[in-house]
Amino acid sequence: MTYLSLTAVSKRFKDDVVLDKASLAIDRGETVVVFGPSGCGKTVLLRLIAGINEPDEGRIHIAGNEVTFLEPEQRNIGMAFQNFALYPHMTAFDNIASPLKARGMKGTEIARRVEEVGELLKIGHVLHHLPKALSNGQKQRTSLGRALAANPRLLLLDDPLRNVDAKLRYEMRIELPRVLKAFQTTVIYVTQDYKEAMALGDRVAVLMGGGFKQIDHPSEIYKDPDSLDVARLFGDPTVNVVDGRIADGAVELLGLRFPLPGHLDPGPCRVALRPESIEVTLDETAAGSMPVDVGDEGRHGLAVELDAVTPLNVRAVMLLKTADGKELLATCSEDEATRLPRGHKNVTAHIRAADLLFFDQAGARLRPRPN
Amino acid sequence: MQRQTSLGRVVRVGLLTMVGLFFLFPIFWVFLMSFQTNQEILRIPPSLFFEPTLHNYQVLFSGRLETQTGTLEVRFMQNLMNSVILATSSVALSLVLGIPAAYAFARFKFRLGEDIAFTLLSFRFAPPLLVLLPLAIYFQQLGLINTYTGLIWVYQLITLPLILWIVRGYFEDISEDIEHAYRIDGNGWFKTFWKIAIPLAKPGIAAATLLSFIFAWNNFVFALILASADKQPVTVGALAFVTASGIQYGQIAASIVLSVTPTLALALYAQRYLVEGLSLGAVKG
Amino acid sequence: MATEAMTGAATNGAKRPLMRKVLPYLLSLPALLVCIGILIPFGTAAWYSMQRYNLAFPMTRGFIWFDNYIMLFQDPSFWHTVRVSLLYTFFTVGVQLLLGLGIALLLQRRTLFNNIMSILLLLPLMIAPAIASLMWRLMTNPNFGVLSYIVGLFGFTDFRWASAPSTALFTVVMIDTWVYTPFMMVLLLAGLRALPRQPFEAAELDGVPQSFVFFRITLPMLTPYIITAALFRMLESIQQFDIIYAMTQGGPGNTLMVFQVTAYLERYQYTNVGRSAAILMVLWVITFILSNIFIKQWLRLREKARGVA
Repeated sequence: MTYLSLTAVSKRFKDDVVLDKASLAIDRGETVVVFGPSGCGKTVLLRLIAGINEPDEGRIHIAGNEVTFLEPEQRNIGMAFQNFALYPHMTAFDNIASPLKARGMKGTEIARRVEEVGELLKIGHVLHHLPKALSNGQKQRTSLGRALAANPRLLLLDDPLRNVDAKLRYEMRIELPRVLKAFQTTVIYVTQDYKEAMALGDRVAVLMGGGFKQIDHPSEIYKDPDSLDVARLFGDPTVNVVDGRIADGAVELLGLRFPLPGHLDPGPCRVALRPESIEVTLDETAAGSMPVDVGDEGRHGLAVELDAVTPLNVRAVMLLKTADGKELLATCSEDEATRLPRGHKNVTAHIRAADLLFFDQAGARLRPRPN
Repeated sequence: MQRQTSLGRVVRVGLLTMVGLFFLFPIFWVFLMSFQTNQEILRIPPSLFFEPTLHNYQVLFSGRLETQTGTLEVRFMQNLMNSVILATSSVALSLVLGIPAAYAFARFKFRLGEDIAFTLLSFRFAPPLLVLLPLAIYFQQLGLINTYTGLIWVYQLITLPLILWIVRGYFEDISEDIEHAYRIDGNGWFKTFWKIAIPLAKPGIAAATLLSFIFAWNNFVFALILASADKQPVTVGALAFVTASGIQYGQIAASIVLSVTPTLALALYAQRYLVEGLSLGAVKG
Repeated sequence: MATEAMTGAATNGAKRPLMRKVLPYLLSLPALLVCIGILIPFGTAAWYSMQRYNLAFPMTRGFIWFDNYIMLFQDPSFWHTVRVSLLYTFFTVGVQLLLGLGIALLLQRRTLFNNIMSILLLLPLMIAPAIASLMWRLMTNPNFGVLSYIVGLFGFTDFRWASAPSTALFTVVMIDTWVYTPFMMVLLLAGLRALPRQPFEAAELDGVPQSFVFFRITLPMLTPYIITAALFRMLESIQQFDIIYAMTQGGPGNTLMVFQVTAYLERYQYTNVGRSAAILMVLWVITFILSNIFIKQWLRLREKARGVA
C-alpha cells in the first residue's frame, strides 16, 4: 500500500528546472534509495517532502493525507542532513532529545529514549559532549539518532555518509540496515554512491534530468536498465557502450555477429556490455588481429590488446583495445589478473552474448520480443 | 616575522611611547584634574603631585555649586541619568525592532527587506541635521519635543542600522539546515528563531548592543536640537555646565570623567567585539 | 501519539499558507516604520530648501524654486563654508590615515604588549567627540592649560589654540585626530593581521628589502581596507559638527564655519529655515555620492571577511 506519494512534482529555482513532473510512490516500511548524479535534484526532493521548500506544481501525500504545503513541524518526519546540521549549542543528548521535547514527552521518558538510541548507535559514552567535541563519525550518528529518536513515520536521509571517511562509510553501510530495521520506519535514502544504493535499498529510484528514470530493485536495475543513462550510472567500473547493427535476427558489433534471443527491428543500435561479461583468455595461437569465433557457451572471442590492469578491491579492471582502437573495460578476479603474464599484450576477449543490452540511438532500451 | 635590529627596536619603542602619550595623556590629565582644587589647577607650572580631593565630585552629586555670586543649581546628575535612560532604552528598542528585521533580511531574501536595510544604512551616513531640523518642527506639533519618547525614537537612527547590519551578518552565517532540522523536529518558526537563531547569533547581538550603546551615549546633536536641559544627556549637559560654571575647572573635569567612564568601561570590557562592530562587520576582529 | 494530532492538521496541507508569505514583511514592519520616519522629514527638508522661509518673517514665506540654491552659490560665505569643510576633511583624513597606518604597522605583531596597547589606544574613540573637545579646552586654556604651558616652554608663549584664527583649524584637526585615529588604526591593524602570510615569507626567504615588501606587497594588499576606512572617515569629517561646535561654535569669526555648523547657526541664530535646509541638501548630495561609493566598497570587504570566516 502506498504510504508516500509524489504526483507530478515540479520545482525550479529561477530559470533552473530541478524537478520536472517527478512522480514516486513508496510503500509503508520500505527503504527506497534515491540515486542519481550530483545536482540532479535529490536533495531538493527531500526538502520538498520535509516541507523546507514548497513545490511549484504537483502534490505530495503522506498516509493518504495531502501535505504539499504543510509546515515541516506538522509532518512528523525525521531527517538527517548531509552536513549533519547539529545544534552547536546543545549537547549530543539534547540534540537527540530535541524531537522528543517538541512532541511534549516527559523528561524521564526522554532520558530513557535518548539513552536507548545512543546505545543502539554506539554513542552512549559521548552524549554529554557538544557537537564540536565529537568526531565526524559521532556527529553523523548523533544526527541519525536525532532523526530516528521520535520514531517518525517517515525518515529522510540526505547522503548521510557523504562526509565521513571511507572506513566509517563502510561500517555504516553494513550497520545502517540493522538500525533502520529496528525502527521499522519508511525510509528515503539519497545517495550518489552506487554501492550504497545497492547495499541499502529495497528499491532504488534513479533520478535524472528532473524525473525518475527507473524505480526497481537494485539488482533488476543493474541487470535490466530501462535506458542507457541508467545503465551507465549503475555499475563500477561503468558499462561499455559500442555501436551495433541489427539485421537478420542477429546483431553485429565489434566485427562479431551474435544471434538475437528474440525479435528486434533491423537498424543501427547501441549495445551496452557489462565489464564482467567480458572474459579474457591468453591467446597463444592467433596472434593476429582477426576476430576469433570460439562459439562455445554463446561466447564470442575477439582478439584485443591488453593495455592495463588495475586492481579494484577484490577484482581487477582491465583496459582492452580492439583492432580499430575502441577501448573496452573488463573485470576479473584478482587471482586471475595475477595469472596474466606481464607484458603480454595480445589476448582474446570473450563476450557473453546473453548479457548484451540493446538501446536505440536515443538511449531507450530495446527489448527483444520472443519469436 | 621581521628581523629586529637593536636600533629598530629603540625607534619602535620611542615611537610607541609618543603615540601612547598623545592618545592617553589627555585622559590621564583630566582624570587628575578632577581630583584637584581650582588653586592646584591654576598653579604654574602644572604638577603631578597634589593632595587629591573629592570635593568636585561632591558638588556634582549634591547638585549645588557655590560661586562668588551665590549658589548655582547643577543639573549634572540629571544629565547623567538622562544619558542612561536614553542610551539604554534606545538600544533596547532597537534590539526588539532590529533583531526580527535582521532575521527577516537574512533568511527571506526579499526586495523590500533590502530596500529597508539600505535606506537605513545610507541615512546612517547622511547629515543628521538634515533630518533633525524638520523633525524638530514636527515634534513640536506632535508634542514629542523634549520627551524621552521622541528622543528614543530619533536615537533609532544611530542604533538601529548598527544592530540590523551586524546581527544580520551573524544570522546569515548560521547554516539554514540547522534551523530546518529544528523545524522538522516539530518546532514552529518562532521557537526556532528563539531557541536556535538567537542563541547562535549571541556574539553578534552582544557586539551590536555594546557598540550601539556607546554610540547612543556619545551622541550630541540629537538632544541639542530636540531637548532642553531637563532631558539632555551628559554630552550636551557637560557643555552647558561649562558655560554655566565658568571657572570651576575641577568640577568640569569631574563631569567629564563621569561622562566618559561608562563608555570607556564598556569598551574595555567588550574590546573583542569592537573591531567587528566599528566596521559594521566588514572586518573580523 | 502525536501522530494523530498531526495527521488531523494535515487537511490544510493542500493550501499554501498565507503566513509563510506575510511573515518576512511582518518581521520587518517596525524597521520599515522607522525608515518612513526618516524619509518624511527628509522630504520636508527638501521642500523647505525651495521656500523663502524665515521664522522671523513668517509673512514672507513662499515657494521660490531653486532661488535659495542660486543665492547660496553666489554667496562668498557659502564658498568659504565649502572650502573650510573640504580643508577639514582633507587634513583630518590625511593625517589620520598616515598616523593610523603607522601605528598599525608598529603594532602588527601579535604580542601581549601590542594587544594591550591597541586596546588602550581605542579609548579616545569611545569618548564622545563633544566631551573630547571639552577635555582639550581644559588643556589648551591660556591660564592653566597644560598644553599651553608645554608649548610655552618651546617659546610659543602666546599660543592661542582654537581662539586664534591662524591656529583654530589646526586645533580642531588635532582633536579630530585624537578621537578618530584609533578608528583607522584598528581597521588597518585588523586588515594587516588578516593578510595572507605566504607572500611575506617568500619575500623574507628571498631577502627582499623591507621597503620593497611594504610598497609592493603590504600596501597593495591593504588597499581595500585603506579605501574603506578613508571613505568612512571622509563621510564623517565632511559633516563634522560636535567637535567644532563644542570647541568654538564655528569661530573665531567665521574661521570654522563648516557645513553643519553653518546650517545650525543659520537655523537657530538667523532663523532662516529655507537657507539652512538648502545648505544641508548640498551637503547631503556630497555625502550621498560618497556613501554610495563607500557602501559598495564596504560590502565587498564584508563579503570577503565572511568568506574567510
